[in-house]
Amino acid sequence: MATVSLTVNGQRVSAEVEGRTLLVQLLREHLRLTGTHVGCDTSQCGCCTVHLDGKGVKSCTVLAASCEGATVTTIEGLAPEGKLHPMQEAFREHHALQCGFCTPGMIMSAVDMVRRKGNDLDEHTVREQLEGNLCRCTGYHNIVKAIQAGAAAMKRKA
Amino acid sequence: MSHAARSTRIGEPVRRREDHRLITGAGRFSDDVTLPGQAYAVMLRSPHAHARIRAIDSRNALALPGVIAVLTGADLRSDGLKPIPYNPFTLHPADIRMSNSDGSPPFVAPCYSMAVDRARYVGEIVAVVIAQTTPIAKDAAEAVDVDYEVLPAVTRTVAAAQPDAPRLWDDASSNVCLDADVGAKDATAAAFARAAHVVKIETWIQRVTGVPMEPRAAVGEYDAATQRYTLHAGSGGAVRLKTDLAKILGVPAKNVRVLMDDVGGNFGTRGMIYPEFALVPWAARRAGRPVKWTCERHESFLSDFQGRDLAVTAELALDAQGTFLALRGSNIGNSGGHPGSFTPLQKGVEIMSSLYRMPAAHFRARSVVSNTAPTRPYRSSGRPEVMYVMERLIDLAASEFGFDRVELRRRNLLKQGELPYTNPFGMIYDSGDYHDAMEKALKLGDWAGFPARRTEARRRGRRRGIGIANYVDTATGAPRERAEITVHPDGRVDLVIGTISNGQGHETSFAQLVNEWLGVPIDNVRLITGDTDIVKVGGGTHSGRSMRMGSVVIWNSAREIIAKGTRIAARLLESDPSTLRFENGRFRVEGADRSASLFEVAAAAAQLGDLPEDLRGPLAAFSDETFNIASFPYGCHVCEVEIDPELGTLEIARYSAVDDVGRAVNPMIIHGQVHGGIAQGVGQALMEQCYYDPGTGQLLTASFMDYSMPRADNFPFFSTEITEVPCTTHPLGMRPAGEGGTTPALGVFINAVVDALADYGVRHVEMPATPERIWRAIRDARAAPPAGRAR
Ligand code: FES
Ligand code: FES
Repeated sequence: MATVSLTVNGQRVSAEVEGRTLLVQLLREHLRLTGTHVGCDTSQCGCCTVHLDGKGVKSCTVLAASCEGATVTTIEGLAPEGKLHPMQEAFREHHALQCGFCTPGMIMSAVDMVRRKGNDLDEHTVREQLEGNLCRCTGYHNIVKAIQAGAAAMKRKA
Repeated sequence: MSHAARSTRIGEPVRRREDHRLITGAGRFSDDVTLPGQAYAVMLRSPHAHARIRAIDSRNALALPGVIAVLTGADLRSDGLKPIPYNPFTLHPADIRMSNSDGSPPFVAPCYSMAVDRARYVGEIVAVVIAQTTPIAKDAAEAVDVDYEVLPAVTRTVAAAQPDAPRLWDDASSNVCLDADVGAKDATAAAFARAAHVVKIETWIQRVTGVPMEPRAAVGEYDAATQRYTLHAGSGGAVRLKTDLAKILGVPAKNVRVLMDDVGGNFGTRGMIYPEFALVPWAARRAGRPVKWTCERHESFLSDFQGRDLAVTAELALDAQGTFLALRGSNIGNSGGHPGSFTPLQKGVEIMSSLYRMPAAHFRARSVVSNTAPTRPYRSSGRPEVMYVMERLIDLAASEFGFDRVELRRRNLLKQGELPYTNPFGMIYDSGDYHDAMEKALKLGDWAGFPARRTEARRRGRRRGIGIANYVDTATGAPRERAEITVHPDGRVDLVIGTISNGQGHETSFAQLVNEWLGVPIDNVRLITGDTDIVKVGGGTHSGRSMRMGSVVIWNSAREIIAKGTRIAARLLESDPSTLRFENGRFRVEGADRSASLFEVAAAAAQLGDLPEDLRGPLAAFSDETFNIASFPYGCHVCEVEIDPELGTLEIARYSAVDDVGRAVNPMIIHGQVHGGIAQGVGQALMEQCYYDPGTGQLLTASFMDYSMPRADNFPFFSTEITEVPCTTHPLGMRPAGEGGTTPALGVFINAVVDALADYGVRHVEMPATPERIWRAIRDARAAPPAGRAR
């Protein structure tokens, strides 16, 4: 067991973790931030995507113990309390979710995609960049539309 | 993007009310449930496809610190747990009946929640390990010593049907559990005898799996004082899960409560009770504390119900002009390691002839068991398989006998005036305009402009193909549904209903109905579906039944509320009930300026002590209905693909869909259903397969590294169009919309692929049409002597 201290959604937190504890387990089980989901055991689905020190990561592939001093943002902390991030708004407006299980990871990936690729995203780029996020409900159609619209809206709000 | 909703009534693309919690991480899925003091279960699963369990030694596992118990099939039997009450046939009276043609009963074996004597597929549960934490339970599972006697295994459908195949049950005469004849044998043979043309296909609609993104999870509780079990687990319906669970546990239904909130996808995969859902509450009783189990993805691949897996041989007879005369063949469905569901076989074969005029048909329909995970209905159970076969037969007939593919369909497609039409298996198609859907799809997919696109692609060294497929979908499912509406004086309305959303947006679309009929703002409608202490009756979400049946019981309840409300308002407004009209949420006295709102009336119902008995108390009404008629959604899809002949790689260039829903409640949600349905259908045709090694029965595709899941870059934007020809057998004209996206997708996609390879004379490509398969098809066709080519 080791103690790890980090900042999650703006709050300083500490937790006792085993060497094998994953960041996603720290978030879900220790901090009860259950918006970050686990959809697989091979780092393929992207349901667990969060921002670690500002970059999108699959939190099922990060050891919690390696996050000492890190800053983590999860879906719960993407927008200030009571507000929606433009990407969240775009997902709702464009009906980019059905069951909603992939959605937190999709949104966190989408915001990271904007960081990496800019606000003007063409369809091809969005589809290629979604390689690491699986959705079984939507056929991706509305997710791609939402990401394009959300990226543009982020520019307007920036 | 759907246009902005003009109101929140029927027909508007209202943005979903459930989304806020789901996009902010506040959804509550099964694994988000954590109870104080819970222990954790891990399932020890058979590593063998077929093995006798000689003995299980748990001593080493129990010696590990933190291990609470190891439960085996012997414990299950000694505790008196009953078999899972799977009913292999569909219960709906409109589906055809099937029985063995020799008069003997179908073979059905009891299925326990754990292997009790033999494991019959890789992944079948052999023991449950309960410990303080999941990691401890995993370590302990490895320490359980199971003495297996490995037996020969069979996985493939046709092989399993052979008389000399390794047999799963010693007391069955073969692995064939059901061997039925449907249709008219002699009339069909006579029609074939006078046919000018006969075309044949032999194909396998391969095994795939539903892959809801939320892996299954369950938390079980047992309260010794009340002797009640509680199960928290996402499923396609709460009531059926509760009833089945009570049967397995051998307790009265009132001693079981099922709870669920958000459910991360279903597609049929969550349609029936799973063994773990019984094991976890049982383990909670044994352990004296709550027990939680969370499925890992590799376990989902091994143990989720899988879908499809139908081996077909089919022949179509035509006259010289191309008029269809008859259809015949054989379907063998593979039900996997337990004969638990003949439904896909049944629901497929009964509409084998699709929307075409077919004077005669005859099929042999068999179901086999094999050493693979059990299969169950998967999105549009049984129908995508048979639509694929019919649409392939038509394209093959066109290319082999020189007909135009579209003309051949036009000639044989039923006309509106011919409806209702009884198909050769006895299914009655009620209504629809099939020609209109096809013509619209041809237009939407710009069929006429295709030759130019093909030529252009050729210049780039690509082979472009286009395909078309019509479809019909039989929606039946559990026939009974119930809704209850309660109007609260404070402005809220509770709607309790027995079906449940697994992502289909019921909180929005059902609220739209309430808004339409009662004038209540949608945000004031609270939908209650996931607690069996409140929801007592209902069939759950499958077979396009939620809106189809839900709308009717909600409508009946709303009308009853208005009828009761009118009588109460009459008292309140001192008028005769016959002078009252209910509009926009208010009861108005005609010709006078007096009115009372629905909520004022609800308050009066609670307060006025001298109302007649039936009006006193909360303003509430319910409707409990049984729907014995099937519904037949239909439509037409057009797909265009482009192939790189050097690599066999493929890109979907266009996909256009026209689906008739009779009357659309929320078109935005319906388009979304079609998009997702297309992706699942095309996913099967293009890339997905549960691949069992034929020798060992090992599942070689048990992770996302190996099972090919459709991703965003496999698809273009889809063009989807909804048509609304009212359904004559539904009081509100509605047809289901959840499965139509998938039903024609297999056929239309393979038709497009084969068309793209027409230059090479490729006759057919089996699913999944992987680059390797396409590349080989091109190579083999090139190597074939020219006489063997179709063109
Ligand atoms: S749970 Fe992290 S990628 Fe699937
Ligand atoms: S919305 Fe269900 S998996 Fe994406």
